Amino acid sequence: MAEFLDLEAQDGVRMTWNVFPGTKQEAEGCVIPAACIYTPLKPIPSVHVLPYAALRCRICRAILNPFSIVDYASKIWICPFCFQRNHFPQHYASISEDNLPAELFPQCTTIEYDSSPGIGPTVPPVFLFVVDTCVIEEEIGYLKSAIAQAIELLPEKSLVGLITFGTYVQVHELGFGQIPKSYIFKGSKEMTKDQILEQMNFFAGKPRPAVGVVAGARDGLSTESIARFLLPAAECVLLQMVDDKTYRFHVLEELQKDPWPVATDQRALRCTSTALSVAASLLGVCVPGSGARIMAFVGGPSTEGPGSIVSKNLSEPIRSHKDLDKGGAPFYNKALKFYEGLSKQLVHQGHVLDLFACALDQVGIAELKVAVERSGGIVVLAESFGHSVFKDSLRRIFLTSDYDLGLSFNGVFEINCSKDVKVQGIIGPCASLEKKGPLSSETVVGQGNTSAWKMCGLDKKTSLCIVFDIARKDGPDAVGQSTNNQFYFQFLTYYQHNDGHMRLRVTTLSRRWVAGPGSSQATGFDQETGAAVMTRLVSFKMETEADFDPIRWLDRSLIRLCSKFGDYQKESPSSFSLSPRFSIFPQFMFHLRRSQFVQVFNNSPDETAYFRMILNRENVSNSVVMIQPSLISYSFHSVPEPTLLDVTAIAADKILLLDSYFTVVVFHGISIAQWRNAGYQNQAGHETFALLLQAPRDDAEAIRKERFPVPRLVICDQHGSQARFLLAKLNPSVSYNSDNRVAPGGDVIFTDDVSFEVFLDHLQRLAVQ
Amino acid sequence: MGNSPLAGSQTSTPSKIDPNQIPRPMPGSSIIIFETRQGNQANIPPPSSSDFIVKDTGNCSPRLMRCTLNQVPCTGDLLETSCMPLALMVQPLSLPHPSEEPIHVVDLGESGPLRCSRCKGYINPFMRFVDQGRRFICNLCGYTDETPRDYFCNLGPDGRRRDADERPELCRGTVEFVATKEYMVRDPMPAAFFFLVDVSMNSIQTGATAAACSAIGQAIADLPEGPRTMVGIATFDSAIHFYNLKRALQQPMMLIVPDIQDVYTPLHTDIIVPVAECRQHLEQLLESIPTMFEENKVADSAFGAAIKAAFLALKPTGGKLLVFQSVLPSAGLGSLSLREAEGRTNISAGEKEAHKLLQPADNTLKTMAIEFAEYQVCVDVFITTQTFIDLSSISVVPRTTGGQVYYYYPFSALSDTAKLYNDLRWNISRPQGFEAVMRVRCSQGIQVQEYSGNFCKRIPTDIDLPGIDCDKTIMVTFKHDDKFQEGLECAFQCALLYTTVYGQRRIRVSNLSLPCTSVLSNLFRSADLDTQFACFLKQAASGIPTRSLSQVREQIMNLCISILHCYRKFCATVSSAGQLILPEALKLLPLYTLALTKGIGLRNDGRLDDRAYWVSHAGALSVPLAVPMVYPRMIPIHDLNLKEEDGSVLLSTLPLSSEHLNDEGIYLLENGEDCLIYVGNMVNPDVLQQIFGYTSVNGVSTQFVLEQFNNDLSKKLNNVINEIRRQRSSYLRMRLCRKGDPSGMLFLSNMVEDKNPGGLSYVEFLVHVHRQIQAKMA
Repeated sequence: MAEFLDLEAQDGVRMTWNVFPGTKQEAEGCVIPAACIYTPLKPIPSVHVLPYAALRCRICRAILNPFSIVDYASKIWICPFCFQRNHFPQHYASISEDNLPAELFPQCTTIEYDSSPGIGPTVPPVFLFVVDTCVIEEEIGYLKSAIAQAIELLPEKSLVGLITFGTYVQVHELGFGQIPKSYIFKGSKEMTKDQILEQMNFFAGKPRPAVGVVAGARDGLSTESIARFLLPAAECVLLQMVDDKTYRFHVLEELQKDPWPVATDQRALRCTSTALSVAASLLGVCVPGSGARIMAFVGGPSTEGPGSIVSKNLSEPIRSHKDLDKGGAPFYNKALKFYEGLSKQLVHQGHVLDLFACALDQVGIAELKVAVERSGGIVVLAESFGHSVFKDSLRRIFLTSDYDLGLSFNGVFEINCSKDVKVQGIIGPCASLEKKGPLSSETVVGQGNTSAWKMCGLDKKTSLCIVFDIARKDGPDAVGQSTNNQFYFQFLTYYQHNDGHMRLRVTTLSRRWVAGPGSSQATGFDQETGAAVMTRLVSFKMETEADFDPIRWLDRSLIRLCSKFGDYQKESPSSFSLSPRFSIFPQFMFHLRRSQFVQVFNNSPDETAYFRMILNRENVSNSVVMIQPSLISYSFHSVPEPTLLDVTAIAADKILLLDSYFTVVVFHGISIAQWRNAGYQNQAGHETFALLLQAPRDDAEAIRKERFPVPRLVICDQHGSQARFLLAKLNPSVSYNSDNRVAPGGDVIFTDDVSFEVFLDHLQRLAVQ
Repeated sequence: MGNSPLAGSQTSTPSKIDPNQIPRPMPGSSIIIFETRQGNQANIPPPSSSDFIVKDTGNCSPRLMRCTLNQVPCTGDLLETSCMPLALMVQPLSLPHPSEEPIHVVDLGESGPLRCSRCKGYINPFMRFVDQGRRFICNLCGYTDETPRDYFCNLGPDGRRRDADERPELCRGTVEFVATKEYMVRDPMPAAFFFLVDVSMNSIQTGATAAACSAIGQAIADLPEGPRTMVGIATFDSAIHFYNLKRALQQPMMLIVPDIQDVYTPLHTDIIVPVAECRQHLEQLLESIPTMFEENKVADSAFGAAIKAAFLALKPTGGKLLVFQSVLPSAGLGSLSLREAEGRTNISAGEKEAHKLLQPADNTLKTMAIEFAEYQVCVDVFITTQTFIDLSSISVVPRTTGGQVYYYYPFSALSDTAKLYNDLRWNISRPQGFEAVMRVRCSQGIQVQEYSGNFCKRIPTDIDLPGIDCDKTIMVTFKHDDKFQEGLECAFQCALLYTTVYGQRRIRVSNLSLPCTSVLSNLFRSADLDTQFACFLKQAASGIPTRSLSQVREQIMNLCISILHCYRKFCATVSSAGQLILPEALKLLPLYTLALTKGIGLRNDGRLDDRAYWVSHAGALSVPLAVPMVYPRMIPIHDLNLKEEDGSVLLSTLPLSSEHLNDEGIYLLENGEDCLIYVGNMVNPDVLQQIFGYTSVNGVSTQFVLEQFNNDLSKKLNNVINEIRRQRSSYLRMRLCRKGDPSGMLFLSNMVEDKNPGGLSYVEFLVHVHRQIQAKMA
């Protein structure tokens, strides 16, 4: 396992199979598809940034890399992908074995190019706040302070815009002197970019140019007309502090609850989709193609406009998973269609949609998912704008610290592969650019049919799951190639770095084919990545395939995998064993079957969409935490130690720290809770108890600090109501109908679910058949 | 029959007519006290132009209601023979004379006003109590009702109720009842005023926006005080800009509605707020609007969309919408085209169908206006333009909603700013009511034929008036459906249910009871010239959009001739065929008819918008203003100093004939709207210096502001003009006319007694009328 982590540290890549199955048939036999999870902007301290443009192969456009064979004498390099011989250009003239450019250093498999350092004006990023005003006064207050704080934290040069919405969409003009001004659009009406141009006075009385694309300062719009809506953050902040009569201050201060009356049996009219459409079109008009984020703060379900998710009538509940399954969600498909259109527009313009959904009710994340995910946006779900999950997460986005997100814009991701490897697609926050090439597989998973993807927004942690297709057919030539069993991938990521420059990160990898029976295939299996990939796959299938039975699919996959790679005598379950490469994979699958990704009926469609969106952008180790939470036990007797995710971990004199990614639970055993309630920790002589109490809190804080979105912290006691957050995740090895006895001070889970032991028994029996 | 004096010549030759002997209006100088009834008889009211004080002794004041005939013909045949109209001019909220007793407000408690259970007529002095007061007979429908117990009173020996003189509703022609819940579909609405100002490029550049803002800024001081007075404002060009006037805000906030095809109001509250809460914001805003849009390059103006949006803001309460419009509405909902130019280029069609240009371009604005009326929104439009604006289309909105058009053409920021302010001020401060419904009832025998004026009609019997004010008049025509008995009286009752500016719901009931007659000469003797002429004027105005001008002129002249012919044929005692005999009461009818055919409305050479304005103005014009509109007053002012004042400031008027214009003279001509000052070309420079501050009129622009200088002449002139303003309730549009230039021609076109391309001279016309009558007699 450790070697996989080392590889990840160097290149940000983890693969399910680090040794590739040699043929298509063999790949199918391996059950788990060949895939990798790649973090394009993973901070790698040793990475070189080269101040010149990358050198490309003139045939396949792949970039010069450490795997290229260089003929120093004739100044020629051979592209490892297409075997084309390329001449070095003039400025590589001094190249020799002792004088290598960095891109040829063997350890520089990942390298960055910044071809224009220090040149030209950089385009400042744009932040367009889209704020829901159909919320109670209290929430408005929270929102005001959160946004004000965010604006203060923004880089000074970045541009800020503000749109509020409720029954109507209100676009605020920030750069207007005499009197605060805003444009009001009807909530039920879709707005096109052209209408925005016409109606928001961008031509200022002049006739609109007859031909050509009208957008942005370069294409016919005056900077003044743009500056009305997008104002540098520095001015916002300064104005706030220096002069309390200026406008910026007002807009936030005077942000009011939507004034339209709402009947008691009705939902507020909330035109989320129209507001987002106006926002997208406004950005499309003002700053097409340069980095911009729409940050949507939504406090309830959309009831007006094309993207509404529920009717105004309160007696009609918001759609549940059951409604979606049974086709009982009349608004769902229309909204989905609308947001698909919006996502296309955003991707085309290169803009990001971030969603901050803070409501006790659903707001429509399930519908919005497509637009947020394809544009690479951030999503945060919390109960209230006053909740720390929201507040801390928002702050984290803008705060510059070790834990900052490193928001980048306008990414384009490309892949080069050796012959015989194709790409089915990517599951993750990106959008296919529909550039079909020899690389694209016929089978499509996620965003496929292309060799290039748009990533309007990406950050340090954005991780893509790339699913490969082994195209090599079984045949005589396959054996013949066994001498040359190396092959290569190259991942290219262009992006707008947060210093404003465009950069290119190149990661080139080499892997080995194996073929034939008794191969060393099994040694290359990375079971954590395998679990992460299977989770993304099962989520994807559940969303896209009708009547898909995830449990059956997972079970069958697991059984087939165990049959293929387990050691056993046929029909003898007791003889079954798995090599260490596979040993914990069944456990992952057991917990995955019980997780929020598969057991969706315990959650609302919004929650499920949220969990999946986060899953689809996280790296392997965090994905594993989501599937199988980590549990640490604290006691007087030992140092804090990881413990089995099992009900038997509970003890009266222990504190447990559960990290299930979205929630961090500190769970006090009953005795600990009683001691704490008695206040022992404050008494002299009980310092160790105080330390014991404090340790899990500190560790929980540490987790919260580095994670985004910031997880929810639950502190609870054994037998308390909040204890359910822990119990739901534990293996029910002790339940009311199991044979196992409850240990003194332990706990029992009231469930019909099978325990891991039972699950494993079944697995062994089926695998050996 | 002695009341049929002769006028004019003894012979039929025109040369023998002495122009100085022919009938001309003679203003009475002294104040008349007019008792509406005496000895249980209706009195014939004094001429509407005279100065009189009314004592309501059973019939309502003639200011409120005047009939074309002060005796009602018993049969329809008689009326037809006379060729005269039977119509009422109702001005339900007209201004009283300051010395008149105010109208009594009667509160009959929860039961409300007593009404006939059959025709729903209101209790009035002409309802007869019988059976010791236990029952009463309705004077309108003749039904006998039980007297409610709490309204019972014994009868005196004269057969009247003993309390008749204590109860205003039993002794006064007009009373105002306090309306009970029964008369309200909702709480009485607040007085809401919404100002809508054009800020398109042209409007800014001509100073119209600045003038409007300054007028509004000053006028809001005159809004009715009280917590129920609400105010709001919006501006518009090719988008509509609302303003959030909420007090909590540090500044008003502009909310732009850019969608002018499908408009909406951006806020639910805070756009229309109590005036007491937003004075400061509003003043600040009105000051900054002209500078805020100083650089506005948007030429389009979305009038239709803007009034629709403002209407949506007013919809929950209803109220008055005051629109300041400067250019042709060219964008958005209900946009209009340059029809005038189209009419000119297409001459052949233009000649034949010219009147079609006086109809609204399409139904959009009419449909909108009907919706406005339904939600009690009354629209007044102030047109401050220098170009064609298609008034025929625009005026539909005020006409349907009980509003009116103000027309400043060509707009001059210099001279019109003051008038704009004064017009606006009068508009919002004059006595007025909201969400009104009016109905006229009459005795059995006749029935209402038609209402005409500025209102919306949804059911046949009632008219809806989102706004009604003291200046608006509604004409009601009647037709016979039965006979009256000689000696009985025919009663008219007008009931106006309305909400005052202070939010009280009232029913103003005016009664007029007139004797019936079967004698034709009685009809002529009791004919009311002013009212009849107002009736002709309105009929002509309503005919203009549907018929060619020559047809309308011919119809008016024929009407005049027919009436005079009838009189000549049936009533005149003198049988000499060579004499033109005019009934005393109608002796000025030929003069006014001639003036009408030469007026802006019926003249061939008028601008389209001018004619449209004339039509719209005539539609709601009151009786006292009808005559001046076609036969203005002309007063010499160069010699004001020489004349003695006998109490009244106004001096004798001159006939409208250029014979009376002297090259050394300065003359003032006013028609209630415009005031033309004509300066001859040999005027004493001293006089000019005294009046204008210049020794030559070349220094004064055509549209000018009359200043008061420190000399007697100037002071007297200003007094005269102020007196005219008071009489007309109108701030006059001053215009200087110099002899020998186009402005002089404008003045001369008002000399209706002259022969000119538009028609005959007065004398010629009399001869023409005479010949026509003779032809008919033959």
